[in-house]
Formats: sequence, structure tokens, C-alpha cells
Amino acid sequence: MSNSVAAQPARPPLPDRSTLRRVFGALGMPLLATVTAFALGALVIWITSGSLETVFQAYGGLIRGAFIKERGLSESLVATVPYILLSLAVAIGFKSGLFNIGVEGQFYIGAVCAAFIGQVTTSLPAIIHLPLVLLAGALGGAIWAAIPGYLKARTGAHEVITTIMMNYVAFRLVEYIVSGPLRAPGTSAVQTPRISPAAELWTFAAVPQRLQDPLNALGVAFIVALLSLIVVRLLLRRPAWRDRLQKSGQRRIAYLSCAVAVGVIAFVALPALTQAWWPFQDQYDRLHIGLLLALFAALAVWWLMWRTTLGFELRMVGANPSAARYAGISITRNTVTAMALSGALAGVAGTVEVLGVSGCRCLPMFFSSGYGFDSIAIALLAKNNPFGIVASAFLFGAMRNGADLMELSSGVSKYIISVIQALVLLFVAAPPVVRWLYRIKTEQRTEEEAPLTRGWGG
Amino acid sequence: MSTVTKTISNGARASLRGTRWVTVLIGAFGFFAAWILLNLIIGGQCRDKCVVDTLAQTLRVATPIAFAAFCGVMCERAGVVDIGIEGKMLTAAMVAYAVNLFSFQIFKNSMDVATAGSISRSLALVAAVASSVLMQLLHAVVSIKFKADQIISGTVINIMALGVTGYLYRQFLAQNLPAGPGTFPILQIPLLSQIPIIGPILFQQQPLTYIMLILAFLIHYMLFYTPWGLRTRAVGEHPRAADTLGINVFRTRYINVLLGGVIAGLGGAWFTLEAVDVFNPQMTNGLGFIGLAAMIFGKWTPFGALIGAMIFGLGNSITTTVSIYRPDIPSQLPQMLPYLLTIIVLTGAVGRATPPAADGTAYEKQ
Repeated sequence: MSNSVAAQPARPPLPDRSTLRRVFGALGMPLLATVTAFALGALVIWITSGSLETVFQAYGGLIRGAFIKERGLSESLVATVPYILLSLAVAIGFKSGLFNIGVEGQFYIGAVCAAFIGQVTTSLPAIIHLPLVLLAGALGGAIWAAIPGYLKARTGAHEVITTIMMNYVAFRLVEYIVSGPLRAPGTSAVQTPRISPAAELWTFAAVPQRLQDPLNALGVAFIVALLSLIVVRLLLRRPAWRDRLQKSGQRRIAYLSCAVAVGVIAFVALPALTQAWWPFQDQYDRLHIGLLLALFAALAVWWLMWRTTLGFELRMVGANPSAARYAGISITRNTVTAMALSGALAGVAGTVEVLGVSGCRCLPMFFSSGYGFDSIAIALLAKNNPFGIVASAFLFGAMRNGADLMELSSGVSKYIISVIQALVLLFVAAPPVVRWLYRIKTEQRTEEEAPLTRGWGG
Repeated sequence: MSTVTKTISNGARASLRGTRWVTVLIGAFGFFAAWILLNLIIGGQCRDKCVVDTLAQTLRVATPIAFAAFCGVMCERAGVVDIGIEGKMLTAAMVAYAVNLFSFQIFKNSMDVATAGSISRSLALVAAVASSVLMQLLHAVVSIKFKADQIISGTVINIMALGVTGYLYRQFLAQNLPAGPGTFPILQIPLLSQIPIIGPILFQQQPLTYIMLILAFLIHYMLFYTPWGLRTRAVGEHPRAADTLGINVFRTRYINVLLGGVIAGLGGAWFTLEAVDVFNPQMTNGLGFIGLAAMIFGKWTPFGALIGAMIFGLGNSITTTVSIYRPDIPSQLPQMLPYLLTIIVLTGAVGRATPPAADGTAYEKQ
């Protein structure tokens, strides 16, 4: 028995094991980078505070603040939403060979556009107003980002400098708009007027109540129908199902009827169902449906970049502009498109912040901040993979949320989080540093990776 | 050695000669246009004193931008992109502030206040430069030894500086602190400062401004008239050829990048040793990046970069003048001016700028 096994030639490794190994290979470096960064952060705290106990207090406070305390987890998720959207924006840029440091500015412009459209009228129903506001934010961000894109493509002005300059212009512009033309009359606080309740992003707790309005239920049913349409279409691609419905007409009837049926059921049943049972009952919980929007955006970006012609062109321009130009792909058009897409996502992030997070449901004078640089680190940590971005955005969101309790419980300033994040970015951007730290030998030369950024001339 | 380096040197000279006149012309035109614009905005109130004040302020504000641009010139002539100047300046600004303050507390008991002040300011300057060099060392090792993406490495420096300064500021400096010794006094150059218009603009400034002006000449001389400069430019244009000729590419890059760190440290010290006697975590406000734009505007030459920095300084000082004469204009609008100027300048007021050929690429020894 054992003889026969030994006599057999060495079998190739099982396919599932190699997939596992690949997943570990992809996760290993970011995980190692994160752990090392936290270890160094601990060292910094230890040295500056002088006691090892403070380190445990600080990290304990961080974890309690991020996950364990009341509404800790949901607040972490609230912080995750803009991180996901902004990191997707940065990732689209990277994949297209552009370093968009200007997401923060595009975020502001999106927010101010949303704040403007949101308060224009209170008579529109949510089914029209909410998409309209999201569109306005996206458009604002897209235009703001397309300007550096166009300048880059046409004049060669490097996007790193122009987008940063556009950031500062955006900050001043938004400051001016909020304190001048768009300032809410009759309040002492400098902020824009409250947006129409119809334009708000619902908190999860408010969903059952919102669904009592038939128009809202209709909107939700429509979205559910659309999602089921996509799912059924994907299912119909499977060979077993494909064989049964030979003609494409048949398939179309199948998925359309499926979608309509699901939509009708959702319209009729959802309001009653959510009224009867709904897990989110905490009225003060700020977690809002923007989270679903962000997750959907991650899926959409993945589909766009890896499953469409446009995405292929963008990635090709990013990987090798000369080859792309030789293949007849317009560099100018794709650069502008990439920046506009990137800016649109950043604008949506700003919109979400106004519609779902800010306490006044408006744009206050000094709001947000610091999402921009963090999201660059997140995108790099995830190696620009949309699903990786969801995970690492959650890590950063949790850190951001837990930092306050950390500062309270241990007296360690929350800026240590920035140091840790910079270290994460350092280790991710320069894998040789981590390999050198842990004396890891590279087994084989990894395939040539496309450069992340380009010099001034490109 | 001869052929390759000679072509490089000829090319640089020729481009320099072309650049110089264009930049000077554009600079002069820019100043003139700005003066007209200023008078249009504030209604013809900008007479002699106002013009001189605005121009003196221009040179003052241009100082950190020029330091940043010089740092960029030093690094990029050797082929290393340095986007982390902002972060280094922020760190240097904080270190300068802290050292200035605390060493003054130590010295003031044992000697008279004026001496204690100047000693602690000098110490602060040295410490600022040291902290900037330390951060630059990280950038140098990561981008030269480990060959990481240089722009990412610079971004790391920027984020790290935000974290480190914010952290140390909150831990140690955000309390009730005793009064510090103040900023560097204005140094009047004897005789020269008495010349009517030029005197108050050029020769009644603080020491770092003079250092900046001297550096412009020094870097120009070193880059274009010494063997070291020739080696630097060779490494920045064609490292392989330079290596073949026996120039140590890595060492040249390390030296240049670290010298850039020294210059960025001086620029950072300007914020807390010359401008104001306080530190706040958003102090540098994008001036490091504007410095990079000035460097590109000046086509990687020190004098061009200086003129670029002066243009942005002018935008800034006009903002101040406008806000004095026309308080009714919302302050945010003129504040956008320097940033918009940067974008306009970058998009080709000077045509497409050609960076050193090997700028931003790690050198792989064969």
C-alpha cells in the first residue's frame, strides 16, 4: 500500500490548497504591516509615557471604543462609510495611473453641492429628492476632479500638485459659501440650512417608520427589484440554467418576470415585515443606509474596473500609457474619465456625510477632516482591491472611532493613530522594509508590478 | 567621463540660459500685473509705502516656499522626487518651537535675557534642521535602499509628520506654557539697508531670509560650476551612465537628499523662529507643495525656483494688503489666490517643463 503511494510520481498540489496559499500570500503582507505598525506605535507610547501600563490602557481603550462600548461598533461602521467611498476613489486613480490626493477637496465640494440641493425645496418626495442630491454631490466632486485630470492630460501639470492646490481652493470656497451665500438665516452657528427631511439618508432605526410612506416603499421595492434582476441575470449564466432556457428571449422574460415579482412582493410585504420585526431599534444609533450604498459602490467599482471595456482601458492607461496609446486608446479621455469617476465617489462620500452623519443634517463651517490622507493609506493597504478596501476601511474606521476613548482612558493623544497609519502605509508601500525587518526571503521574483505613480514628466 | 557628462553639462547650460530670460520676464510681468490688480481692487490706495511693504512681505513669505523649492531642486537633480517637504517643514517647525521655548527656560536664569534668547534660537535652528534630516533619512532609505515608490514614501512622511507633530503637541505643548524668547529680530545690513526702495525690501529682513537668498547663489554655483554638481546632474539624468563612469549613484543620492533635508529644516524653522512665536498643527498650510510647484516653474534651477516662490509670495502678500484696505471682501476669496496661481503657473505659463530624466525612478545596480 505504502509502496504504491511512494511509487507514484509527486502529485501537483491540490487546487484548493494553492488558492488558500494565494489568499494567505495576498493577506500576509498587509497583516504583517498592520501588526508591525501597531507594535511600533506601542513602542512610541511606551517611550513617551514612560510606562508599559499606558500601552495596554491605550490599546484597551482603543478596542473598547471601537467595538465594545455602547454603539461603539455602529459608530465604527459610520466612520467606515466615507473611508470606503474615498478609498475607492483613490484606488480608481491608482489603477488608472493617477495619484488623486485631492479626494478631500472633492469630498468638500460634493458636500456643499449636496447641502445646496438638499435645502432648495422641501416639497419633493424622497424617491426623487434623495437620488437628486446624491447625483448633485457626485457631479460636484466629478467636475472638481476632472479639472486636474484635464490639465494633466492636456498640459502635463502633475496631478499631485494640482489636486492638492484644488484642495486648498475647495476649503476656502466651501468656507466662503457656508459663511456667505448659503448660511442659514437666524442661527448663531455658521452652517447651511437644514436639508429637507426627504433628502436625508435614513438611519437603520428609522427604516420601518420610513417605509410606511408608500412612495418610499416603492423606491425600496424598485431597488430590490433591480438587485434581483442583476442576481438572476448572473445566475442564468450558469451552464445548467443556460441549457434550459435556450433562446435569449426566454432568458429575458425569465429574469424580467423574476425581478417584477420580487419587486411587487417587496413593495407589499416589506413595510409590514419591518414593522413586525427589525433588529435596529436604538433611536440614537447613527448607523445609516449609506453603509449599503458604500458596499454597493465597492461592488460597482470592482465590476467597472475588471469586467467592462472602460475599466480595461483605464487599467491599461495606468499600467502602460505608451502601449495604451499605441493600441489607440485615448489617454486624454481616459485620464479625465478616471479623475471624474474618482471625484464622483469622493463627492458621494461628502454627500453621505451631510445627509446621514452630521448632527444638524446640514454642512457646518468646520466639518470633517483628515479622511483624505487616511484613504490613501487604506487604498494602498488593500492593494486597490475593492473588497480589500471594505475590510481595511473598517480597520481604519474602527481606529478613528476608538481613538477618542483611547485618549480619555489613557491620556495618550489620539494623533498616535496617524503615526500608526503612516507606518502601515510605509510597510505596505515598501514590502522590502518588512521583509528586511523579519528576514523573509523572497522565494521567486514576483511579476513586474505596474508603478503606482508617475514622475512629473508623464 | 568626458562625452556623457559634457552633453549633460551643455544641455543644462543651454536650457538654463533659455530659462533665465523667460522666467525673469514672466516674473517682471507678474509683479507688474499684480500691482495693477491690487490697485484696481483696493481703489488706487497702494502708494509708495504700501508697495514697499507689500514687496518686503513678499520676500518674507517667499522664504519658506523658496527653501522648499531648493530642497526639491537638491533631491530631484539627483533623481529622487521629494513630496514630503511639507511634512519635514511641519516637524522642523514644531521642534524649533519646542527647543526654543524650553532651552530659553533653562538659559534665562544664568544669563541676561537677550543672550539667552539668541542662544536658544540658534539651538532651535540646529534642532529643527536635525529633525528634518532625520525624517529625510527615512525617505532616503526607503526610496533609495528599499526602492519604494518615491511619491508614496513622501506621502508617508507627510502623514507621519501630521501624526508625530500632533501627538507631541498634544502630549507636551498644548498646555499653559511660559513665554518664549520670541522670533529672530530684523537684521539691518549696514549702509545697504539705507538705499531708498531696495533697502527696506532686501536688506531689512530676518536672518533666514538672508540665508535663503545666499543659498540660491550657492546652490546655483554648486550645481553648475563644481564637479559635485556635474555628478549630481549626471545621476539625475542617466544614473546607469554615471555608474559606468565610476560615480557612486547611491552615495550621491543619499548626500543630495539629506542636504535637501537640511534646507527643508531651515524652511520649517522659518515658521516658528521668524514668522510667529507659536506653533499650531496646520501651520505649513500647503507651502511645501507650493514650493514644489515653484521648483517646476523654475525648471529645477535655484534662481527660477526663487522667482517662482516670489510669485506665490506676492499672491500671499497681496492677500494681506487687500484684507487691510478692503475688509468688506470675504477673506476666503483672496486667500484662494496663491493656490490658483500655482495651478495656472503649472499648467504651462512657462511651457512644458522637463524634469531630470531619471527623476522618480529607483536605481537598480546591475
